[in-house]
Amino acid sequence: MGKLFTSISLLLATSGLASAAHQLTPESNVLVGSREGLAITNSMIMVWIATILIVLFCQAATKKMKMIPAGFQNFAEWIIESLYDFFGGILGDHLVKRTFWFFGGTFLLILITNWLGLVPGVGTLGIADSHGHVTFLLRGGNADLNMTAAMSVIFAILWFYWAFSENGSKGFFAHIFAPKGDFSGAMRIGMIGIFFLVGILEIVSIFIRPVALSFRLYGNVFGGEQTLESLMALGGKYFAFAPALPFMFIELLVGLVQALVFTLLSAVFLKLICDHGDHDEEH
Amino acid sequence: MFTSKVLFVALAALGGALGIGFLGGKAAEATGRNPGAAGPILTLSIILAALIEGIFILSAFAVSL
Repeated sequence: MGKLFTSISLLLATSGLASAAHQLTPESNVLVGSREGLAITNSMIMVWIATILIVLFCQAATKKMKMIPAGFQNFAEWIIESLYDFFGGILGDHLVKRTFWFFGGTFLLILITNWLGLVPGVGTLGIADSHGHVTFLLRGGNADLNMTAAMSVIFAILWFYWAFSENGSKGFFAHIFAPKGDFSGAMRIGMIGIFFLVGILEIVSIFIRPVALSFRLYGNVFGGEQTLESLMALGGKYFAFAPALPFMFIELLVGLVQALVFTLLSAVFLKLICDHGDHDEEH
Repeated sequence: MFTSKVLFVALAALGGALGIGFLGGKAAEATGRNPGAAGPILTLSIILAALIEGIFILSAFAVSL
């Protein structure tokens, strides 16, 4: 257990500079500011573009709302409603009302950032300075660990807040350490000991979840970009697009699935801690 | 060239591939047996596939440092 924990903390500490053996995807280089202080990198610009797109889309959809939705409004309503029902199915009606703003928003942001990363200009347009070092203007938003780690840290904080407010502090710790099921006499003491150890494991897994969430998204998107880049290099001067074409569609699917997985897992993690076992809405 | 790192990632990839293969097979069977529950089966299999891939990606990154 010790080795795993040190390797994960080592991972996190140096992951910021984790460049794979020979990184083909463009570096997430700094456009404004310095790497030590506040830096605006090309990945950040992609995420800003994605947010602006989402904001514009929502405003366009809600400009003149009509009872019978048409056009943009209908499309936007369909997206939001299907997401709401989807997370409602997982979280239950009470929780989803409180938390949908985060899950729906993260899903849309990750989805749009992933799909924007596939737009032709991204990761290929750059300015070459005198000695041929190209600084790329745009780069996939989620191909940068800072972005995915930021989202999972925000989720971890919100998870603690929601778990405490839903269960109350006593309920929260009871949920982790209390023995499930009722035992009597000697059996009970044994169970308390065992479930205390189970609680320790639960705590460890609680802290590993954000790490796993951020690395899963980062790994998939970054790996996808690497494959696209290396395949483009394979295609030669004029047919660079040919080998990478099928992988573009795979990347579209991976972008959707990873967005779904990130938000789905965080919803499930929240449900695990807030689930009171009183399954009233049995369907 | 062949190093223990490469073997580490290769085994993790093998494990991941096997895991998702079994998962896909069972999910297809379950949907075949009970088409009505296709939705929940899809959600569950996506969650489990993500967890399986998570292990592979963690091990791939643990090696790359």
